[in-house]
Amino acid sequence: MAFTFKGGIHPDEQKNTRRTPIVPITPPGSVCIPMSQHIGICCEPCVKIGDLVDKGQIIGKVTEGLGCPVHASISGKVTKIEDMIWSKEHSVTAVTIENDFECRVSPSVKPYCGDIRTLGTEEIIDRVRNAGIAGLGGATFPTYAKIANAVGRIKGLIINCAECEPYITANHRLLLEHPEKVVGGIKILLKAFSLRTAVMAIENNKKDAVKAVAALPFDPEMIRICVLKTKYPQGDERQLIYALTGKEIPTGKLPVDVGYVVFNAETCAAIYTAFATGMPLTERIVTVDGDCVGSPGSVLVPLGTPISELLEYCQTDSSKIAKIIVGGPMMGKAVWSKDTPITKGSSAVLAFSEKALKSQMKKQTACIRCGKCLAACPMHLMPKEIYRAYIKGDLSKCKTLLAQSCVECGSCTYVCPAGLDLSQAIVSAKTKLRPKRVVSEAKPLAVDENSEKPLCDHTSKTQQEEK
Amino acid sequence: MNEERKENTLLQVSSAPHIRSHDSTQTVMLDVIIALLPLLLWGCYIFGMRALTVTLITVFSSVIFELLFNLITKKTITVLDLSAVVTGLLLSYNLPHTIPFWMPVLGAFFAIVPVKMLLGGLGKNLVNPALAGRACLLLSFSSAMTVPPVLTRLDLFESYLPGDALSGSTPLYTVLSPAEDGSSISTELLFDMFIGNESGTIGEVSALLILLGFLYLLLRKVVSWHIPLSYLGTVAFITLLFPAEGVERFDVVYMLAHLFSGGLLLAAVFMATDYVTSPITPKGRIIFGIGCGLLTVIVRYCAGNEGASYAVLTMNLLVYFIDKITVPRPFGAALPKLKIKKESKPQ
Repeated sequence: MAFTFKGGIHPDEQKNTRRTPIVPITPPGSVCIPMSQHIGICCEPCVKIGDLVDKGQIIGKVTEGLGCPVHASISGKVTKIEDMIWSKEHSVTAVTIENDFECRVSPSVKPYCGDIRTLGTEEIIDRVRNAGIAGLGGATFPTYAKIANAVGRIKGLIINCAECEPYITANHRLLLEHPEKVVGGIKILLKAFSLRTAVMAIENNKKDAVKAVAALPFDPEMIRICVLKTKYPQGDERQLIYALTGKEIPTGKLPVDVGYVVFNAETCAAIYTAFATGMPLTERIVTVDGDCVGSPGSVLVPLGTPISELLEYCQTDSSKIAKIIVGGPMMGKAVWSKDTPITKGSSAVLAFSEKALKSQMKKQTACIRCGKCLAACPMHLMPKEIYRAYIKGDLSKCKTLLAQSCVECGSCTYVCPAGLDLSQAIVSAKTKLRPKRVVSEAKPLAVDENSEKPLCDHTSKTQQEEK
Repeated sequence: MNEERKENTLLQVSSAPHIRSHDSTQTVMLDVIIALLPLLLWGCYIFGMRALTVTLITVFSSVIFELLFNLITKKTITVLDLSAVVTGLLLSYNLPHTIPFWMPVLGAFFAIVPVKMLLGGLGKNLVNPALAGRACLLLSFSSAMTVPPVLTRLDLFESYLPGDALSGSTPLYTVLSPAEDGSSISTELLFDMFIGNESGTIGEVSALLILLGFLYLLLRKVVSWHIPLSYLGTVAFITLLFPAEGVERFDVVYMLAHLFSGGLLLAAVFMATDYVTSPITPKGRIIFGIGCGLLTVIVRYCAGNEGASYAVLTMNLLVYFIDKITVPRPFGAALPKLKIKKESKPQ
């Protein structure tokens, strides 16, 4: 019997790109790299306009607190350093680099030359931090901090290859084409935690990936592959840990508190690359799909590449595009501009036409108390009740109904036959209930993928300054 | 950069999720109608075409009353959600095919206007409209609501005079008042009840078709198993362990006769599972089903009458409280009981 959890939904999988190999994009003419692509404090740019930069060279430094350095993803000349609008209320500094197509690699990029068997935990954390690796599943929590926080406190390492969102096949293709990178990364992580076994969780719609990994020559004691029932949101840490171990993470606690830590498969591959070649995180696999895209597929993209170039590469009819979603259709973020750059958290780019959007439209009618939202909620909340309380403005009732433990998966909105915006209301309630003074480091680990929280947290800074 | 952006057309933005299932209130109601239609066909076969006429009258009058209400109150037209059709169907299924034609119109009016629309329409009603309509007719015109004891097939428009119809001969009465000579219910009669070869209201006679409808609704995930199974299970449990006087314990035939006779199955599968008037929590649904079962058997034993509709109507009124006490424990939240224990220990 496959591992699974209670609740959840099974939307149309739409894994149209599962058989399309990963291809590297033709190098973009210029990239625009935001200084904050992770949860935590914004980086300070450490290059000037006119500087020549190499691929892999650090261009954004962490000055304080939690953060990941940012590296140049191509070689070329810095042409602009300016603020760009990032979300409704926030802007972020971005460095624009014009490509000189010389593909110079920074001299700082050096493979790890010591013996991998005697690697120390500190050394691993150091290299992961310098490589700027953040959770590539979409939550973009700095990986070094996750490792440092979990060392000595965990008994199980879980590698998340569930990829439960429709359309996205980035992890699937990675496991099929470069399973050795993922396994290499797992070996390094096991070393960091001094553990012997890691659990790899793969949904049963990716049986070929299971075979590809199992075919590698590694000690079967080291990696145990668990096949999960295909269901959304299986890739959520809480549901994944429950499916595999039967343990519930108490409200407001982190996976570490029950003795587990979860890493995304692509993050493992990035850790491996940081050791094998020394190349920091400068590119990622992005699934490009949607009804406007002529040749959908998974593309290896330098960070900072504008979405428009990526869509062009995939032969997209840009005149038809009405909506672009970065991430999966369940939790992804709709962007308003085709110039938005690819960042560390962009696992997919989906371009939909007006026609496709219309087919997803639903007329809002009265709640008929069908209880489907309760059955779908992976957190076993009462979405309908929270929705009603929020519409009435009764925030204290939202709190007693534990609106704050919503993982923002959107399952309730998906199933609602009355077409109500349940999860949208719950997320708003959650945002309003969040304590006013948010210290970035206290932000929960990668629980909610693509959370609405802006990448660069200016509000918390200013509020702290005021105090 | 900003200038470039101005040149580009802005794209649509909205918060996640960006996809939705294809279920709507309309498709849900359509599924219920599909599950109900075989019962109508069987009703026409067994009672004659007059059953169809009665059903058409209730369905049309339900829809028209809702439409009129929408128009008079200048609210959105809601008839397209098909819930009025379901109410009409269920109401007619609870009526004898011999009823005078004007009565179903009255029943539909009561079900739609005071019970459903005046309280705010679909989703706001407290009790099942179809059952309320039936209860209204039963209290007002009990003789016309009496099911003729023998199977009478009637034409489309044939009027029926109740005359001196003797009560006590429909299968339910046979079950509720065991023969004086002590003979139990024959298996032939049980089989007739299962197939639906018996007298009764238009839609309640065929246990087989009701169960098939239930299966369809389960497969389409329109209803959950909780209410029907806990309801029927409770009735089965009581009739098996505590049968009425004169019947031996563990009489399976007696138990099955209870399940297949009267409106119990129809109520358990189609009335008690009405979304609006049943609890939304899984635990609450089980409590609701058990309550319905208990009340049904109590009415059957004590009043010698079919109690299913009154049982469901009574439990409908308790839904708010059942929902309140059965809030599920959120994932990862501590059990409220455990909390109390932990707090009391240090004291």
